[in-house]
Amino acid sequence: MKPDITDETSVIWFGPQHVSAHGWAAKLTLVGDYVVECDPNAGYFHRSAEKCLEFKNFRQGALIMERLCMLEAFLAEYPYVTAVEKIAGIEVPERARLMRTIMMEVSRIHSLQFWWGQFAAELGLFTMLLWPWIDREFFLNAFEELSGSRHAVSYNTPGGVKYDFTDKFLHRLDLAIERLEDHMPKFKDMILRSPTFKMRTEDIGTYTTEQGLKWGLSGPNIKGCGVPMDLRKDAPDPNLAYDLADWEVPVTESPRHGTGTSDAYDRMVQRFKEVETSVDIIRQLLPQVPEGPMIDPKARGKANRLPEGEAYGRIEGTRGVSTLWLKTFEKAQTPWRAKIRGPCFSSYYSLKHLVPGSRFADFIVIFGSLDPYPGWWDR
Amino acid sequence: MSEEGGNVAASTFARQVINKLPDIESKMLEGNAVELIIPRERIREVVTMFDASFEDAFPESMFGVDLGEGNFQLIYIFWSRTSQVLCQLRVSLVEPDLVVDTVSDIFSGLEWHERETNEMFGIDFTGHPDMRLLLLPDELKGRYPLRKSFETDRSRLAEDGISKPKPRPKPQPTEGGGEQ
Repeated sequence: MKPDITDETSVIWFGPQHVSAHGWAAKLTLVGDYVVECDPNAGYFHRSAEKCLEFKNFRQGALIMERLCMLEAFLAEYPYVTAVEKIAGIEVPERARLMRTIMMEVSRIHSLQFWWGQFAAELGLFTMLLWPWIDREFFLNAFEELSGSRHAVSYNTPGGVKYDFTDKFLHRLDLAIERLEDHMPKFKDMILRSPTFKMRTEDIGTYTTEQGLKWGLSGPNIKGCGVPMDLRKDAPDPNLAYDLADWEVPVTESPRHGTGTSDAYDRMVQRFKEVETSVDIIRQLLPQVPEGPMIDPKARGKANRLPEGEAYGRIEGTRGVSTLWLKTFEKAQTPWRAKIRGPCFSSYYSLKHLVPGSRFADFIVIFGSLDPYPGWWDR
Repeated sequence: MSEEGGNVAASTFARQVINKLPDIESKMLEGNAVELIIPRERIREVVTMFDASFEDAFPESMFGVDLGEGNFQLIYIFWSRTSQVLCQLRVSLVEPDLVVDTVSDIFSGLEWHERETNEMFGIDFTGHPDMRLLLLPDELKGRYPLRKSFETDRSRLAEDGISKPKPRPKPQPTEGGGEQ
């Protein structure tokens, strides 16, 4: 028996069969219970979405895009739709602009609610898993009323949206938002003041803004450092109506490290603020939805064949900057090249730098705090 | 906002680059965005300049494009929030000389983008620390699925042996089937 076990390294595969590792695996090299090397592995979920897009016409493509991340389906398909609109020169009616924006924020809320539960459950706090997910059901019920589908709603299409707001849908949406607003203080109390949660997350997975930007982190992972980097404000899309609402980019300044650094706890705080902002935007935009058509009647014809061009669609997704770069040739029925940038591609990569030096039990905390979704990096 | 600043910041950066490296061409894009067309030897210099010019330089994307007949392009997209500058760099490569210097030591976030471009297009990045397959299974190593020459669908399944399409078994006539 060797007296000092810390000389020996052992290798552990975290995933792909682990309960928390749904579709990914990381190879961890340990000394004692400290991780010295982390090698995240991708590809378990790869469906070659970029190649698939090259064989689908411009109205079908959005359906592939939303399957990359079912939780933020409205947001995931949008970069593709806006890129097609830019090349084809399609204009979006005012009513569709507002409806799109509202539904995207609803999508953001239910995606974040899902993440609250998932992250808390990874730390063993199962009450926080179940309570927000009950509230999330109310949003899914609203989606069901809107389109008949609870997840892959396929709402955005070049030129506008596919389904109109009905009174019953608006009633269900109102119910869901009211319920969420009622319960928000309870959720915050339950998790942010929980001693267990604090012990597990404070000073875990800490990085500075400079490191985060170099790795390509964006969205709440960077806003959690106190940097208001948000494409909804920085590069507003002309076909979205964020300019009609009065809102500020939410940021979290850590009381423990000050601005410029974030740990897992800050990112949880940040994701509560994101939901509050989204609720605020929805509340302001709902009364402003004008009467009129919800889709440009000429859009269908224009999207059949596109002229030659290149366009870059960008949006602030729930998890960060998601973009799509589209190239077409003259009279194209399908894209020549479509490149998807999933925000989690970068956050999953950053584990390579973030994890070494931390304890094995903290690995899942660091991973979970970045809100990763395998569909975004494997595509 | 881009409307207030006009194209100042992006065009200023483009001018700085061209003053230093005259063999680079620039093209203004919509909004506060610029495209720089770069010979491949210059890519590290330009990326270093972008990193030095903007303190919050953010590597947004990097990928390859197959233009057919052995012509490839690499596109790098960078973004700076404080200056609201979007910068797109374009490098042309012609087969069989598909080699370019890595920039993953300047922006480590592009390490996996380069790895993906390598497995999907067969473009080599000199000095890259880790060039294993990222997304593809081992059977597709060296086959470069995002190239236009890659056969897809049934033919693809047949050629790489992932799962061979099986002929459907013919329905067997059951005994006494015709006498009902």
